[in-house]
Amino acid sequence: MILDLHAHSVKSDDGRARVETYCQWIRKRQVPIDGFVLTEHRQFDDESDYRALEDEFGLLILKGSEVETDYGHVLVFGVNEAMRSAYDFSAIDLPLARVIEKTEQCGGVAVPCHPGRPTVGLCAHYEQRGAVDGVEIIEVHNGGSRAGEDEAAQHLADRHGYRGIGGSDAHLVSKIGICATRFDREIRDVDDLVGALRKGSFEAVTWRS
Amino acid sequence: MAFIDEARGWVGKEFDTTEFELVEAEMLAFAEACGETDPRFVDPGHPEFQAVPTYTARFVGRRTLPESFPRPHGRGFDGGKTVTVHGPACAGDTLIGHSKIAEVYQKTGRSGPMTFIVHRMEFENQQGEKVSVVDWRMVRQED
Repeated sequence: MILDLHAHSVKSDDGRARVETYCQWIRKRQVPIDGFVLTEHRQFDDESDYRALEDEFGLLILKGSEVETDYGHVLVFGVNEAMRSAYDFSAIDLPLARVIEKTEQCGGVAVPCHPGRPTVGLCAHYEQRGAVDGVEIIEVHNGGSRAGEDEAAQHLADRHGYRGIGGSDAHLVSKIGICATRFDREIRDVDDLVGALRKGSFEAVTWRS
Repeated sequence: MAFIDEARGWVGKEFDTTEFELVEAEMLAFAEACGETDPRFVDPGHPEFQAVPTYTARFVGRRTLPESFPRPHGRGFDGGKTVTVHGPACAGDTLIGHSKIAEVYQKTGRSGPMTFIVHRMEFENQQGEKVSVVDWRMVRQED
């Protein structure tokens, strides 16, 4: 099963894509993914209900978030009320160690994304301040990466023994699914996703040319 | 008080009202500049003649920020506008634009931390009908 674990809709301040349009694009262009996770910036979207779109298009649509920490941006999966009480999703300077610890305690998984990106990626911060305990997974394929950034992320993963996921980081319709994550098991909901990230086997895949 | 906290204290408060006349010749010139060909926007004789949907984005009030709004630090640049259309803007109408700060938020990007100030202008016509809402994002980037 292949999921794009990093996408933004118009719910994000810089997102330009409606979720329905993502679905139409995926089916019309035969994008080889089975679903995607909406990781809106600095928030968790608890209003939108995409079940009708899931049924219409036969896609899995899950929700997470992309929060901002002192070591860069981090995807969080398995968001629940306890997690939202544990730290402020709208802050831009959350301590990464705390986000990882609290996310795990609340039953989720935290994954630093686009690590090779300047300022908001893990690599630059590791060089300046050293590694952070608790990181186990990072995003090694990001659809918004510039030349060399994914390579830096993979190098970081290799050096620290991190596992890697992929996500398009799509803000525009045509970018959905250009990077994704292949799982060795079926994922039906967020709990399955968290379980698969914690214990399952997965690999980052990319169709970037 | 930190800039962000002080700025957020202004969210939701209306600070300016300005009126704008919808002039047919200006509406046509705008449509032409947009490359429009739809007769609703380029033919004044069309029964549904009206301004192109983004027309109200050209209007600027007397103030872009409240008079005592905290002075933002860093370099500023235009983060773009979003127009939500609620009804037609017709020639001869008067639009009343109400300005408020809709949102103040921060984010970090490749180039570092940024503060976004969202100036919202809500337009109604002389009959009190909502015509459009324009959100203008003003970005301040720390030096």
